[in-house]
Amino acid sequence: MKWICIGGRVARSAVLVSLLACHQPAAMAADLYVIAHPATRLAAGDVREVFLGEKSFSESARLTPVDNFAAQPEFLSRVIKLEPGKYSTVWTKKSFRDGVNPPPLKSSDAEVIEFVRRIPGAIGYVSNAVPGVVMVGKF
Amino acid sequence: MTTARFTAAATLTTALISALLTSAAAAQAQSPDQRIADLERKLERSLQVIDELARRIKVIEQPTTRRDDLPTGQNARIEAVELQVSQIVSASALRRGADSGVPIHGFADVGLGTSTGGTRKGFTIGSLDLYLTPQLGERTRALIELVAEVGANGNTVVDLERAQLGYAFGDSATAWLGRFHTPYGYYNAAFHHGQQIATSVRRPRFLDFEDRGGILPAHTAGIWMTGGIRAGSGKFTYDVWAGNSPRIAGNVLSPNVAGSTNHHMSTGANLGYQFGGVLEGLRLGAHALRARVDDDQTPLNTTTVNIIGMYAVYDTDRWEHIAEIYRFRNRDTSGGNGVRTSTAGFMQFAYRGDWLTPYARYERTVLDQTDGYFSQQDAGASYARAAFGLRYDFDMKSTVKFELARTRVTDRNLGAYSEALLQYAIRF
Repeated sequence: MKWICIGGRVARSAVLVSLLACHQPAAMAADLYVIAHPATRLAAGDVREVFLGEKSFSESARLTPVDNFAAQPEFLSRVIKLEPGKYSTVWTKKSFRDGVNPPPLKSSDAEVIEFVRRIPGAIGYVSNAVPGVVMVGKF
Repeated sequence: MTTARFTAAATLTTALISALLTSAAAAQAQSPDQRIADLERKLERSLQVIDELARRIKVIEQPTTRRDDLPTGQNARIEAVELQVSQIVSASALRRGADSGVPIHGFADVGLGTSTGGTRKGFTIGSLDLYLTPQLGERTRALIELVAEVGANGNTVVDLERAQLGYAFGDSATAWLGRFHTPYGYYNAAFHHGQQIATSVRRPRFLDFEDRGGILPAHTAGIWMTGGIRAGSGKFTYDVWAGNSPRIAGNVLSPNVAGSTNHHMSTGANLGYQFGGVLEGLRLGAHALRARVDDDQTPLNTTTVNIIGMYAVYDTDRWEHIAEIYRFRNRDTSGGNGVRTSTAGFMQFAYRGDWLTPYARYERTVLDQTDGYFSQQDAGASYARAAFGLRYDFDMKSTVKFELARTRVTDRNLGAYSEALLQYAIRF
């Protein structure tokens, strides 16, 4: 009985340590998943260009990037490597010169997933992997 | 549970029960050793059956068959069906997109200023710029821009600044037809009326609009092909255009957007390279423009304007540096004035700090006054201007700028004046 109790404590400690170990990196850098409409062919290396309006077509299909308000700061910092103000200005300049529209802004993962599933050529980013879309890359 | 999985489970259960019952019945009629041996053999066979059924269940439970495993014909059929579904959904989505309205963007600016020269002082209304970018289809584009400005006489003038319809062949080529911002150099097409995205209060004077002191055709009615081609870590960009040649009417350059009165064409090209990697933000380019420009004098003067130029831009989160130079080699084709050369250029440096963006600009033109192209324009005098300013962004879309400038006119009517300007600019 004593052994079981000690074993229980050891087990609890191990679980706590494991949880802490798992929790720490997760808090520092949660994964971002870039997803695309199932019929879209795109490489992870193209994501930045698409979200800066430099790449609008994949093979013959037009690409439609969509921003996710909930995950945008992390996405801009980690993938686009631009401050939000600069990102907004880049798109204003792009739109003004080339007549292209900036990505529509959705408020949550759910809205982005719905958009990406519905619109051919759509590409977005979410905080969890989801079925029914193409996984372009994990960042 | 699916029917297939249910059938497999039922088969597995039946096989197990049958095996156990058969084993029990046979065991009663034999010696203990034989019975054990028989039972072992039957148990072995049962285990094999179980393994086989387990494998079959695994195959049935597989969510999707891998595309690579399918026969070629079946694969092609699936892709064809996917394409058809994609096209149907695409058309439907575009119809929904069209119903959601046309995106409208815009700029507006107001300000005040004072000057030691004869220029106007006090409060000013800059311009209200509205531009629409409707997405008409997969590849068709449109860009319509309307600008309302208050003229020197106080009247409000509405100008159809741009009306261009385009077709995108891909990332490497988009063709536009209509009236557009002439894509020479960098500044003209990048900022134009967009005062909120321009760091400084004003455009370089020689690059200003035709009716505001510019000496170059800032607008063209014609055809324009533009695109980018990836090369290494960066990208080549190009613009090639042809349109109505401008003319000089009332001592002001006119882009002839209502149709060419002189039946001359202007042509131009701009080739640039946008660096990537550690040099991201750097862009270098060269451009050329050729036009035959008539004036409204009697007898008519015609000049073949030849411009070549270069530009360098470094635009990052923190820095914005722009330098452009234009070299004119104009030929008098109606008189005996021959070839005349002139030069214009500017340099601008800016640092985007956490609170303020200080900037400095120097611009200079040396324009040959025996060249009819310049002598017939009110704005054709040579000048030098130094400006220093501070920009403060209230937020991403509203900005206030303060600028001090000193301008020296170096020919025609010599003189110098200083200005202090304040501008409040927004975008939406």
